[in-house]
Amino acid sequence: MKKKILSGILLAAMALSLCACGSTEETAAEDEGTEETADADTSADASGEPTKMTLILRGGAYGESLEASLAPFEEEHNVDIEVMLMSFDDLHTGIALDAVNAEGTYDLCMVDGSWMAEFTENGVLANLSEMGYSFDDDIIPATTEICMVGEDIYLAPYYGNVTVMMYNKQLLEAAGYAPEDIDSFADIQDIAQKTREADASKNGFLIRGGSADNILSDFLPHLVVHGGWVVDENNQPTVDTPEFKAAMEDYLALYNVGGTLDKDDIVASVTAGETAMAQIWPGWYTPTADGPADYRTIPTKLTDDSEAVDAVALQGVWCIGIPNNAPHKDLALELLEYIMSPEVCTASIANNGVPCRYSSLLDEEILKDYPHLEQVCGALETGVYRPVIAEWTEFTNILGTEMDNVIQGTKTMDEALSYAQEQLEQLMAG
Amino acid sequence: MMKEKRTLQRNRAQAATARFGLGMLTPTMIVLIVMTAYPLISTFFYSFTDYNYLKGTDKASFVMLDNYTSLFQNGYFQQAVINTVVFTILAVVLEMVFGLAMAVFVNSLKKGQKIMRTLLLLPYLLPAVTVALSWRMMLSANYGIINQFLEGLGLPVFNWFMDTKTAFGTILVIDVWQNVPFVFLLLYASLQSVSESQYEAARIDGAGFLQQFVYVTLPNIKGSLALCALLRTIDTFRLFEKVNVLTGGGPAGTTSTITQFLYTYGIKSLDFGFGSAGAIVMTVLVLILSSFYIKRAMS
Repeated sequence: MKKKILSGILLAAMALSLCACGSTEETAAEDEGTEETADADTSADASGEPTKMTLILRGGAYGESLEASLAPFEEEHNVDIEVMLMSFDDLHTGIALDAVNAEGTYDLCMVDGSWMAEFTENGVLANLSEMGYSFDDDIIPATTEICMVGEDIYLAPYYGNVTVMMYNKQLLEAAGYAPEDIDSFADIQDIAQKTREADASKNGFLIRGGSADNILSDFLPHLVVHGGWVVDENNQPTVDTPEFKAAMEDYLALYNVGGTLDKDDIVASVTAGETAMAQIWPGWYTPTADGPADYRTIPTKLTDDSEAVDAVALQGVWCIGIPNNAPHKDLALELLEYIMSPEVCTASIANNGVPCRYSSLLDEEILKDYPHLEQVCGALETGVYRPVIAEWTEFTNILGTEMDNVIQGTKTMDEALSYAQEQLEQLMAG
Repeated sequence: MMKEKRTLQRNRAQAATARFGLGMLTPTMIVLIVMTAYPLISTFFYSFTDYNYLKGTDKASFVMLDNYTSLFQNGYFQQAVINTVVFTILAVVLEMVFGLAMAVFVNSLKKGQKIMRTLLLLPYLLPAVTVALSWRMMLSANYGIINQFLEGLGLPVFNWFMDTKTAFGTILVIDVWQNVPFVFLLLYASLQSVSESQYEAARIDGAGFLQQFVYVTLPNIKGSLALCALLRTIDTFRLFEKVNVLTGGGPAGTTSTITQFLYTYGIKSLDFGFGSAGAIVMTVLVLILSSFYIKRAMS
């Protein structure tokens, strides 16, 4: 009898569980109905409850500056916005994993330019042009290049991330240079060598280590100034070339009078006066007038006598877009327009934001407090983007790993670059 | 007639017992099928396709053994397998040695066993990511306490996670530090069940500490030792968080493990077909490693 009662209870528990699972669909359907209403009104539902929006953003100053500007929008539109701040890889995976769902979780997402090809080819992002969005003349034109496919806009450039040259003021002076004297990569080599010669415990230059993407991104400006690039006009790999090898030689020369560290250690080392120079992204460090370090645009000449190239600094603009399966698309567009408005962009500077607008970056009042933004503006006008190819993630994994092998001395340059070329050709051949 | 009735009753009772057994098993079976069998079969199936997550299953096609071929020909995968095997062997051996030493030591204490037990367990209670981040701060080349300490003593300092000479060893030390308490706990529990009379008999026979350890302690806890080694082997083989947070598999692939490889080349690039092939290979490797214990347990 006891056994029968126990079996009965177990069966009842299972039946209840199944009913509970089944009812989720109905609830979801009901929710969809509510959301449709919300979409139609682009405001809260009839009960007055705030509409829930979810944003997936890059952690650090990029997402945090955006998060800090949301309160007025929430109040005005009666919405409750949840912000998810992710690491670079987790953000990419998070957006991609949600993209296959019929109805997604995220209303707005932050996207790195290097994912653009992969996301647009697979319909992850909504066409903002079709939704009625357009750029105004105040946005720095170079920052919008990565946001478009043909004439169609898929992203808006939110955070002006472009590599700049960070330097320690004291060590630069000790090497006999003023910031405005850094005209070429030969000057960078000279400062690095002099710093190490003067004190063997100091680093002349720090290169970025860690993931393959970090290693490659840090190197790309050095490659550009040597006249090389990682792919040709047909997106075929070009890494086993004399230009690449020459750039790598110079890069190794810098490494030999410095070292390799990750971003937090790089900033700490330059500000502490342990290192003379390093390439950084503006989001890592905000200089102040009396601070120990500052940054300026990366020079566009290899030597003082050589001809300047058009653009050298690497653009890593963090853009914002709306997923194609966003639950509240219309409201998301309003939010995107709000975030991209000149007033909100300018206000974001107080929260370590770096807008892609001339009016914000060159505002006289702003420049009094943040003089470095003039340099950033110049860098944003001339930066280069990573190649727009869907295979970019795998591409960086292979090339970054082989470059690391050269830097660490586990492979010769010829071995590593020839292997990388072979692997990349296979990758691009599909 | 009576006999037939008894047989009928017995059959009914047997059928009821069987039904009850089946009823008790059903929830577990459902959970196993949904949570284990289905993902395993799906992964096996996808490992023969070129399934890219963003492109969807509709556009995936069968590529037969292509994923497995490129996996075994991939130099980075080969390096990851070697790293994983070496790391697993070293980590398990070190954890077993230190865990056993700690268990014997704490078990021999007359006072303060509870406090020692709690204190020694603390590293194991922390999440792996927290452990990794804490160690990253302590080992920072700039502001890390360990380099500052070494500098204070006039010793050379290292760039622990970015140098090919130190990165692998540093992660090994961190992993051993965190997981020794697990071994300690299991062996300590096992030591508690060893009868004191066996030690008394050994002492009467003139056995010293080492002889008692070899002839009394070890035979009594060999089952727990084997179980510990198995669990630690399986767990260490799947090492991911620490590597991903601290080195991302670098420098120059010296800390790359199989799971880190699968994450980089399968998950990050959303190439789930290739990733699935790697996952199947890893499952087979873990099964081979654990088969010795499983065979012993089954017999």
